[in-house]
Amino acid sequence: MSKYTEDDLKIELETKEYEYGFYTNLESETFPVGLNEDIVRAISQKKGEPQWMTDWRIESFKAWEEMTEPEWANVKYAKPDFQAISYYSAPKKVDPNKTLNDVDPELLEMYKKLGISVDEQKKMNNIAMDIVVDSVSVATTFQKTLAEKGIIFMSISEAIKEHPDLVRKYLGTVVPQKDNFYAALNSAVFSDGSFCYIPKGVKCPMELSTYFRINQAGTGQFERTLVIADEGSYVSYLEGCTAPSRDENQLHAAVVELIALDDAEIKYSTVQNWFPGNKEGKGGVFNFVTKRGLCETNAKISWTQVETGSAVTWKYPSCVLKGDNSVGEFYSIAVTNNFQQADTGTKMIHLGKNTKSTIISKGISAGKSQNSYRGLVQISPRAENARNFSQCDSLLMGNNCGAHTFPYIESKNPSAKIEHEATTSKIGEDQVFYCNQRGIPTEKAIALIVNGFSKDVLNKLPMEFAVEAQKLLEISLEGSVG
Amino acid sequence: MLSIKNLHATVGDKEILKGINLEIKAGEVHAIMGPNGAGKSTLSAIIAGNENYEVTEGEILLQDEDISELAPEERAHKGVFLSFQYPVEIPGVSVTNFMKTAINETRKANGQEEMPANEMLKVIREKSELLEIDRKFLSRSLNEGFSGGEKKRNEIFQMAMLEPKLAILDETDSGLDIDALRIVANGVNKLKSDKNAIIVITHYQRLLDYIVPDFVHVLYNGKIVKSGDASLALELEEKGYDWIKQEQEV
Amino acid sequence: MELKEKLISSFMAFEERVDVQTELHDVRTSALKNFEEKGFPTKKEEAWKYTSLNAILKNDFTVFPKKENAIEFSQVKKYFLHEIDTYKVVFVDGIFSSNLSSTTHDGIDVCLMSAALTKPKYKMVIDAYFNKIASKDESLTTLNTAFASEGAYINIPKSKVADKPIEIMYFSTGNEAALMVQPRNLVIVGENSHVQIIERHQSLSDNPVLTNAVTEIFAQKRAIVDYYKIQNDNHEANLIDNTYVSQQKESHASVHTFSFGGNLTRNNLNYYHFGERLTSTLNGITIIGEKQHVDHYTLVNHAQPNCESFQDYKGIFSDRSTGVFNGKVFVEKEAQKTNAFQQSNNIVLSDKASINAKPQLEIFADDVKCSHGCTVGQLDETALFYMQQRGIPKKEAKALLMYAFSNAVIENIKIPELKQRITKIIANKLGVKLGFDL
Repeated sequence: MSKYTEDDLKIELETKEYEYGFYTNLESETFPVGLNEDIVRAISQKKGEPQWMTDWRIESFKAWEEMTEPEWANVKYAKPDFQAISYYSAPKKVDPNKTLNDVDPELLEMYKKLGISVDEQKKMNNIAMDIVVDSVSVATTFQKTLAEKGIIFMSISEAIKEHPDLVRKYLGTVVPQKDNFYAALNSAVFSDGSFCYIPKGVKCPMELSTYFRINQAGTGQFERTLVIADEGSYVSYLEGCTAPSRDENQLHAAVVELIALDDAEIKYSTVQNWFPGNKEGKGGVFNFVTKRGLCETNAKISWTQVETGSAVTWKYPSCVLKGDNSVGEFYSIAVTNNFQQADTGTKMIHLGKNTKSTIISKGISAGKSQNSYRGLVQISPRAENARNFSQCDSLLMGNNCGAHTFPYIESKNPSAKIEHEATTSKIGEDQVFYCNQRGIPTEKAIALIVNGFSKDVLNKLPMEFAVEAQKLLEISLEGSVG
Repeated sequence: MLSIKNLHATVGDKEILKGINLEIKAGEVHAIMGPNGAGKSTLSAIIAGNENYEVTEGEILLQDEDISELAPEERAHKGVFLSFQYPVEIPGVSVTNFMKTAINETRKANGQEEMPANEMLKVIREKSELLEIDRKFLSRSLNEGFSGGEKKRNEIFQMAMLEPKLAILDETDSGLDIDALRIVANGVNKLKSDKNAIIVITHYQRLLDYIVPDFVHVLYNGKIVKSGDASLALELEEKGYDWIKQEQEV
Repeated sequence: MELKEKLISSFMAFEERVDVQTELHDVRTSALKNFEEKGFPTKKEEAWKYTSLNAILKNDFTVFPKKENAIEFSQVKKYFLHEIDTYKVVFVDGIFSSNLSSTTHDGIDVCLMSAALTKPKYKMVIDAYFNKIASKDESLTTLNTAFASEGAYINIPKSKVADKPIEIMYFSTGNEAALMVQPRNLVIVGENSHVQIIERHQSLSDNPVLTNAVTEIFAQKRAIVDYYKIQNDNHEANLIDNTYVSQQKESHASVHTFSFGGNLTRNNLNYYHFGERLTSTLNGITIIGEKQHVDHYTLVNHAQPNCESFQDYKGIFSDRSTGVFNGKVFVEKEAQKTNAFQQSNNIVLSDKASINAKPQLEIFADDVKCSHGCTVGQLDETALFYMQQRGIPKKEAKALLMYAFSNAVIENIKIPELKQRITKIIANKLGVKLGFDL
């Protein structure tokens, strides 16, 4: 009897290669390894930054030196040697006054492999893109179209020069320099990233998108994203990430700050597919990311993430619901396979009255991986009528992986209503048999069931991304399925 | 169509089926009745290929081909359909999506092209009308939160979509009110043809008022102990199963 | 002198009163060493994130009461389940009270830990069970182990049903300005046996008390243990209750914790599985007000296949009270077919009350059914209005709703008189007379 079991699937998964694991031979300018004040100054100088920015970086660096790496997450890894990393690497042929036509053809070739032809994207999907390779933003599309609406979408390096007032006003207000170890490190050495400002009352007519790629060996990537949605505006923002397959661990320590002023709405979606390491657990990206958004009155921030990559993930996109009636949402699918470890979740800090938050987290563990949900719902004494609903579901495939749920609930207001539910289960034999009986083979049945399990979150992604995310789920989990 | 010869089967160490013989020709409806625990559901699960049961002896021939070693989906591809007594919930997977996958996998296995989307839509509309199913129902998660009647109607809807050669209805009448029973029976009768065969497994005669069987078999203690025409079902309804048991013990 | 220093230095005085040439004393010595290293837990530790002992530790506790303080049964009758006959093991200020107790050696042993720890005939049992499941590195447990000398000793041999419930009672008289006691209980329930136990700590004055208790429970194959903890103490009483349950196959062990009184209560309840197809039940009702603080910290360690655990904790919080629920379900790789359910429902009645909950699942086996639910909310306003409309005054209507809220747990009490007692305490706590029968 030809019997395709979960064990077969497991073997298939182990042998499945990371599809984005190619390395593009770009000529790069890379700083010597190591980190000290001079390197921080050099980065700032290299980027031609104003004095205030240099000072801000130095201040962050000094704070970082005093801090220690956090230990509380449910992950185990060899601590990176911060002196063995190069903190700046840029593809050489990037011209500061770049247009798409000037971009290194090898780079364009790389995008093709990534499945993101810049030209095509531009024409078909109505998505404005910023692409960050290693440390530097290499191409930003659609700037002109956006500028007509007063929308600023550019690399943060450019923004520091062109819109210093805006950057200075908001940078570090949601994630302070000293917030945590990795945030401090990022504040000191961040190389590039995206900046976005939506003026009052403007609904951004297209999805804004950043594509991140670590290419060069021995480098870390420290990008910084700052999104400001002014009163009554709306923006949907997407980010995607890949990296080449390398035996060493690469460090990615990003900071994302979102500011939604009164009545504004920000939708932030991530498809994270950094190299997860090979099937023996060698190599892969350490993804230590701080993402946080601030909601003023009636504002709404919605985080959606599909996390399939990285060897180690430490990431908690959060919402500070400062304004009355503000809304925070977190929708997450985290898939771990082989030796991957993910400790991810969210914090919903309810400060204002009538604030609402929703958390939907779907964890899928396979291979020898460990998948943890960690979340905090905090209701402050003046957050009258705060509401939270959390649902955390875990699906286990095979018997060598783990699923963990660590929700923290802290309520200091009697009018709060908090509901938290969590379940852990495996794919039922009866479900598979039912599918088989209707003519659906086991591997397809598992794909179907996993997709169904993740549907609540997949539905929250913008259409263009949902298809990609679904494909990614199948690639990272379902082996030959699809 | 279906030929079962001297079928023995166990679950764990326990022998449930102790030598079943059954001949079913195309165009026929057979009812299998019997008291609780007689092995009725086991028989249907084994024909469909549930791996929790082990066939220790005998053979199952579908159109003269032995299917007893085939995987459940391979049997399905050859036209075996089981309407589950307890249909399984699959959260997040819509009825439509599920059917699309099932039909295309079956077509793929039989060397056919995928069904074009417009044709699929047409068939879905047709068959859902047959079972008086609301279109909204089709976008709900499979069996999740369905009422007993909805689940069973959905099973027969799937049968209509897949057009099986051999359909086994396992206790399809359980949990149905009279209206749902009528709808389900109506659906089954419309699907009946001289090209297919139907096995109706039931504890009660009620369903057989609507789906009239050509043959009725009584399963008791892992064996078919009595066979007859539709009148046997009425006799069972009247006398209960005790006389069968007594007859066996004598 | 700080309490920690005081305890450590009093260990020498303690050594003069016990036999130090024993294996037992080696256990005590190494336990003290652990406590000396770790000290009292602080909020920096994840397990104590929401509970601070600082204010309590400032009291100048007497560690050893000087003399036996006799009390009469009539003074304390109301704390016993006096409607029915029970075995009683009673301590006054940490010292065994023979006149209040009713022990037995008839088929089952219901007696004193001090006797079990010192008399040769118990040596085999003590060697096999004492400090075998209690933590060797949790600081408060090891502090108790270091000074372990008195408490209840219950041993039910194979295939015996204890013919009546056993009450373990700890009174403090207030003859000391501030008293710290560290009772140590050992409960062994043999194969196929059954026992019901009620434990209560009761202070008879308003002087501060700190109790740091450790109870080890061993449920052998197919044993049934029902353990009830009544925590309805005075407002200056503080309780740290550490309970460790070890279960063999097909056993049923349930611990029901009723927390109504006291100043600060911390319940550490830990279950360890050593056999298949067993069932663990952890229930709790917490109803507190004023500045009371109750912290439930539970662990169920599923290490074997086909086991079940059920946790159901209800909490009602008014005034400035704070409630903590920290429940951990751990399912090891071998523990396939585990069914683990955990639920914590909380109602907050006042602006100043707060709730902290951390229900955790850590799962390493794939064929399991685990779920947890946690809610924080208020009484249902529509239900209140509905009842008022039918003529039930608001206060009674509220009480009725709260009673209904905790009913699922009350229903699990298997001793009818105890169930009645708990219901009465709840009614009292809610400030109403429940106008209906049980």
